[in-house]
Amino acid sequence: MTSAIAMRLNALGLLAVSAVLLFAFVDQLVYGDLPCPLCILQRAGLAAAGFGLALNLRFGPRPSHYAIMILGAGAGGAIATRQILLHIVPGTGSYGNAFLGLHFYTWSLVVAALIVVGGAVMLLFERQFSESARPERLAGLALISFVVFTLLVLGNGVSTLLECGGGLCPDNPTDYLLLR
Amino acid sequence: MMSVPFFLLAGGLWAVSAGRRSLALVLWALGVAVMLGLFRLHATDALNIAL
Repeated sequence: MTSAIAMRLNALGLLAVSAVLLFAFVDQLVYGDLPCPLCILQRAGLAAAGFGLALNLRFGPRPSHYAIMILGAGAGGAIATRQILLHIVPGTGSYGNAFLGLHFYTWSLVVAALIVVGGAVMLLFERQFSESARPERLAGLALISFVVFTLLVLGNGVSTLLECGGGLCPDNPTDYLLLR
Repeated sequence: MMSVPFFLLAGGLWAVSAGRRSLALVLWALGVAVMLGLFRLHATDALNIAL
């Protein structure tokens, strides 16, 4: 795999990560499904994973950037696993809406697993690292995916600030703390 | 406080766009560390499972 193909795949991957963050945002803003503290941290894990892709787009593909992506997904996946275990016994309830039969925290673990596998698969193609393909600046699809992702990360920061204020979030949030 | 990881990561993304890789890596590591610290504060309920 050439460096150019790897960069294109990284841009598409960052768009995919952005799509997941956007989906959660739409559910929050349109359907009023406020994210719980663990849900917020899973979004942060997804953002930390996407960070590795953003590094690849700006500085060229490096194994350390894929490691960052995998570590971020691992952190988010661990938090999702914890939330799944909270509700794993039948009759212990759930949190938030379901999509295609699975709750968002379950989808979060699925996405984290996909990112880990995707990162590992990309690491198999070593030719991308031997080429010196450090872009001078972000352009085209890389720029679009980078901007969309950055806006979503910032948007999640502002949304979390409105929901939780300067402290920890309530376990079952019902409204935005700073908008009362 | 829960918004801190996002703002650290957003700052890291600014560093990425500015070509400052080392700063970006530091901000990413800080963001993940804060995220895991917040996770520890929130993972307080006992799990209702027998392993």
